[in-house]
Amino acid sequence: MGSIRFDKVDKVFGPVSGGVKALDDINLEIADKEFVAIVGPSGCGKTTCLRMVAGFEPPSSGIVSVNGRAVTRPGPDRAVVFQQFALFPWKTVRENIDLGLRNKNLAKGERDGLVAGALKLMNLESHADAFPHQLSGGMQQRVAIARAYVLDPEVLLMDEPFGALDAQTRVVMQEELVRLARVNPRTVLFITHAVEEAVYLADRVAIMTRRPGRIKEVLDVRSVRAAENWDRHERIEDVMDLESFVHLRTQIWKSLREEKGAHGA
Amino acid sequence: MGNAMIGGRSWIGLASVAALLLLWFGVTATGLVSAGRFPSPADFWLSLTQISLRGYAGGGLLAHALQSVKLVVMGFLVAIATGVPLGLWMGWDRRAEAAINPVFLIIRPIPPLAWIPLAILWLGLGDGAKIMVIWFAAFVPSVINAYAGVRNIDRPIIEAAQMLGTPRWRMITEIIAPAAAPMIFTGLRLSLQASWTTLVAAELVGALAGIGFVLNMAQQDIYPGMILVGMVTVGVLGWATTAALSLAERRALAWNVAGRD
Repeated sequence: MGSIRFDKVDKVFGPVSGGVKALDDINLEIADKEFVAIVGPSGCGKTTCLRMVAGFEPPSSGIVSVNGRAVTRPGPDRAVVFQQFALFPWKTVRENIDLGLRNKNLAKGERDGLVAGALKLMNLESHADAFPHQLSGGMQQRVAIARAYVLDPEVLLMDEPFGALDAQTRVVMQEELVRLARVNPRTVLFITHAVEEAVYLADRVAIMTRRPGRIKEVLDVRSVRAAENWDRHERIEDVMDLESFVHLRTQIWKSLREEKGAHGA
Repeated sequence: MGNAMIGGRSWIGLASVAALLLLWFGVTATGLVSAGRFPSPADFWLSLTQISLRGYAGGGLLAHALQSVKLVVMGFLVAIATGVPLGLWMGWDRRAEAAINPVFLIIRPIPPLAWIPLAILWLGLGDGAKIMVIWFAAFVPSVINAYAGVRNIDRPIIEAAQMLGTPRWRMITEIIAPAAAPMIFTGLRLSLQASWTTLVAAELVGALAGIGFVLNMAQQDIYPGMILVGMVTVGVLGWATTAALSLAERRALAWNVAGRD
């Protein structure tokens, strides 16, 4: 089980009066095993939404809850994949993945099995004993995803996880994530500014306004994906060529462009 | 970087040392600098053999050197064993920082050497006073760099560890300390330098053995050759202990790309 709920959430940075209002009345429900992407102009507070679910920031008012329990602090039930990977450079790939399991006080034998499974899942077996700096950016992000998946979290929080990767690696990782989501579905909150990525990956896409960020509209991608049978295509470029995909993408683009236009940016 | 480059650079280094030695020989042999002011290579060699074979100031060179190294190592270890944990704690815990920083700011401007009279008054001319003074001198860079090391850790590293449910003690030993390690080692190098500076000064003022004591005796005997032997010995010992520390650093930070150069 892993549902996420934002209930009348505001976030103000700095002093409560006279601070910068980053988020304004965010209301969003993400169901168990649902993949929701948030897109929005930079600085709109989409990452802040994720950080509140992770427990890194408290809301200024309103409630962020996971499975009906208000979030108070970070924890392994809400695994985070960071844009800059945030691996521990002094630990090997295996040790990076193992840390969360050790923190759960699992027995060595059980941990070894789970780590081996995570390494296999992300095609990292031959790099198990490498240090992060010996790996490419794409491989490092695989480690970060393995580190998150191995915890068997209720929800997976991904903060522009492919933003630091080059275009080719990015596509490979996007396809990989779709494969993962099919094998091992999770509740996912995915932050991105890449519209195509959001449409390709998500069940629903939430579009945010400029600061103070509000949720402007939420588009249902899942029903279109099912109706047009996107999943019969293996490759991302084939999906992106479909008329229904292009239509949704353009719809989101226009919505985002209005945001920029409205403020003359 | 190619091997040819490294080879080329070490040749340049050797050449400049050779040039310095030649210059030394030249200015003393020609009488440009009188033997009373600066010893010639021959004087230096005579002094070196005298202290090595027959002893000077109550002992052989090896005995004096070992005495100094022993005190530096002991003072340094006491200083870093207390300084690094304190720095880590101050970096991690805002309340600890708030409590300790003001005290630190008051004590810090006092030059370590100014503690020597008090240390001798308390602990006499023996080892204890020197270890205490080295402790005060070497403590500060250890604390400050460990503290800064913690403060400079990328926030996502800490957040990733929190997200993984890392308990408090493991957070310090497996996340905070290794993440701050490059800065901690910078602090250790400065602490080691401070240890040598302080020890030699303390031995100059009040000691019964050690390289500083040799220097003090040689000055009283107006013995330039022996003064130079003492200075060179301190230089060699300082270089050797720093090299040992660098070796430890390379091993401890093998994971660190920046440390690999």
